[in-house]
Amino acid sequence: MTLRWLKRWSFMIILAITGIVYCGANRDLLEVTHWENLIPVGERKPEEDWMLLREGSSPESMPEELTLGKAVSGERRTGETDQALTELPEAEDQEPFGPPLLDSEQQTPVTSGEGDGEGAMPEPEPEPEIVMGRVEEDYFADALFLGDSRTVGLGQYGSLRDIATFYASTGMTIYKIINAEIVEVPDQQEKITVEEALQHQSFGKIYIMMGINEVGSGTTESFTKAYGEVIARLQELQPDAIIYIEGILKVTKARSDKGDYINNEAIGVRNEALSQLADGEKIFYLDVNQAVCDEDGGLVKDYTSDGVHLKAKYITLWEEYLKDNAVLIDGGPEEAEEQLPSE
Amino acid sequence: MVFSSIEFLLYFLPIFILVYMIVPQKFKNAVLVLGSMVFYAYGDLRGLGLLVVSTAVNYVFARMIRGRIGLVAALAVNIGMLILFKYYQGGAVLPLGISFYTFQIVSYLVDVYRGEYTAERNFLDFAAYVMMFPKLVMGPITGYGELRRQLHRRRCDAECMQDGLKLFILGLCGKVLLADRLALLWHEVQVTGYESISTPLAWIAAVAYSLQLYFDFAGYSVMAMGLGRMLGFKLPENFRQPYMASSMREFYRRWHMSLGNWFCKYVYIPLGGSRRGEFRTIFNLLVVWLLTSLWHGITGNFLIWGMGICLLIILERQVGRLWKFITGDRRGNKVRGPASLVCHAYLLAVVPVTWVCFAVTDLGQLEIYLSRMFGLGSPVAMYVGDWQKALNDYGLLLGAGIVASTPLARWIYQKLERKWPGMILLAAGFWFCIHRILLQGDNPFLYLNF
Repeated sequence: MTLRWLKRWSFMIILAITGIVYCGANRDLLEVTHWENLIPVGERKPEEDWMLLREGSSPESMPEELTLGKAVSGERRTGETDQALTELPEAEDQEPFGPPLLDSEQQTPVTSGEGDGEGAMPEPEPEPEIVMGRVEEDYFADALFLGDSRTVGLGQYGSLRDIATFYASTGMTIYKIINAEIVEVPDQQEKITVEEALQHQSFGKIYIMMGINEVGSGTTESFTKAYGEVIARLQELQPDAIIYIEGILKVTKARSDKGDYINNEAIGVRNEALSQLADGEKIFYLDVNQAVCDEDGGLVKDYTSDGVHLKAKYITLWEEYLKDNAVLIDGGPEEAEEQLPSE
Repeated sequence: MVFSSIEFLLYFLPIFILVYMIVPQKFKNAVLVLGSMVFYAYGDLRGLGLLVVSTAVNYVFARMIRGRIGLVAALAVNIGMLILFKYYQGGAVLPLGISFYTFQIVSYLVDVYRGEYTAERNFLDFAAYVMMFPKLVMGPITGYGELRRQLHRRRCDAECMQDGLKLFILGLCGKVLLADRLALLWHEVQVTGYESISTPLAWIAAVAYSLQLYFDFAGYSVMAMGLGRMLGFKLPENFRQPYMASSMREFYRRWHMSLGNWFCKYVYIPLGGSRRGEFRTIFNLLVVWLLTSLWHGITGNFLIWGMGICLLIILERQVGRLWKFITGDRRGNKVRGPASLVCHAYLLAVVPVTWVCFAVTDLGQLEIYLSRMFGLGSPVAMYVGDWQKALNDYGLLLGAGIVASTPLARWIYQKLERKWPGMILLAAGFWFCIHRILLQGDNPFLYLNF
């Protein structure tokens, strides 16, 4: 009798047993299934945030995870870039660029890479010998970019792809970056952590852009504190490097107005706090949003398809901003290079 | 509530099934209606009122319909509502599943008018037909005639329950393990911008989208069938390995079959089908495909999609006629031998292009995408190795998707479904899907807005 019953419901029993095994193995994951965590559909995180909302998920499970740039001992190619990549998009698209470009020109009316820094706008706390100005691509030969999916895009579609080094991965956060195993090593399957990589290779500049994934968690204080700790650790590892804090890129107004935690107000608050971490000597804050935002204070609609990531075509705006706003010591990038020996 | 969500899988379904199993036969339809209302309200509370009113009104309509004028009036109300909500809603959210349940109600009214069956007397049974949650939101569009007997009496035991559950898990795996993950590639291409992708990537992404759409919708349909079976209903098959077809005509006899059958029965045949000469047939096909395009959406891309397919179907007809004329072959439409390989290749090359037209709603963007597919114009900020990276990241998934769209997958399922290893695999598959959903969050089905 019992046996017949067991046989009759065999699939249900198998399902239950595998379920118990699964629950045993994934107890913390299943906590998400508690009633109070079930949010009605309307308030649920929209699907397009898949690239961002990866807190708690293991990076290994993400097929889109990327590590870009040359790894530790990769050779550098300088100067050689695809001409098409550095040019601004076609004329018809240039019109909307007007305001942001003008903005940055007013700030840094330096003509070209050879620029002498005359008239360059000083940082809020002016150090006599430090000015911000225009540099060319070779400036980035010893630059490292740390970041999330947005920096992945920069490293994949920007003209700096083959010049700078990128330790970036989708879903990256400031909390994870130091110990994230995202750096590829040639001839080696296993990736190494950012920390390990930085013990082996030195950089002259470190650009950081992270924070969109973190907007929903912690407070501005806790986020800024963690950010500061990462910078401190980077400075221990790379005492000579200039550290650029790139302000968190905003999202489009439409995306911001969706009503979840990803909104431009929250990003603005955090950027304000990040800008306070700059010391004007070794740590600088870059308001990249100037280059890509419209009068609504959000990312220009046409520059993005998901409201969050810049399209490949517009990555060049970001790059141009970085080129226009590099630290020049005593006015010239060459001297800056000399003062900050890289390798 | 979508099927592939934690709320549905771990809360709604087990609780509902338990209650449904316990209550006696005569209360099962009431439980089904109530459960379906909860299911619907969770996804679209505001639309629930419309659904209930629509059900009640049409229950009365069907019992009142006498002449042609009555039918036309009843249809006008239903189709008017659909058009109103679908096309003049001014940005508001479309009531969940309205395209699907309206079509079912229309089929019911017409069938009653035609005398295929009498109008349902029991309101609860009729409500169960319209609202049953397995097919409420995304079909299959099922005629009342197919379910009539089961609505009054059906077998619902351990065997049905478990067979249905297995089928449901199969569909769930297709949705969660294939569609949702392939969707990432399409999303990546969107994020990058179509003007910056290489021609090989444009094709790879189009294939990925074709597979994603298939496993998303076919997965949903299989889940619906499985749920129906768990409750004792036999819902019709909605997909029959469409990518194995050798012509557009055949493709749409295998893809979303319940919609195709609906248009065939209520539009194409009444217009005269293919029995009134070639010109009339072409006209009828145009009408059907125009309506099919509109049903999917009113943006221009759907018109391009539908009219493109219609054009191909018409051309296929002409080539077929020519072929028959030359060879004198009168055995039918099916091409045999080596020539069939050419037909398959043609279909597989054309279908991804039609799906791109379906997917990209902005016409300017569509033009860019198509020009990338055919290597026209020059890309902006392209990363030359993008397609190798895509193959590297998604090659395995694409391969799995391709294999799973052949009859092989079905064959294996039927072989193993009742054996121990197969059952363990399915059970593990269920929990693996749960695991994936917890990691990725659920994303609504692509078809939900149509």
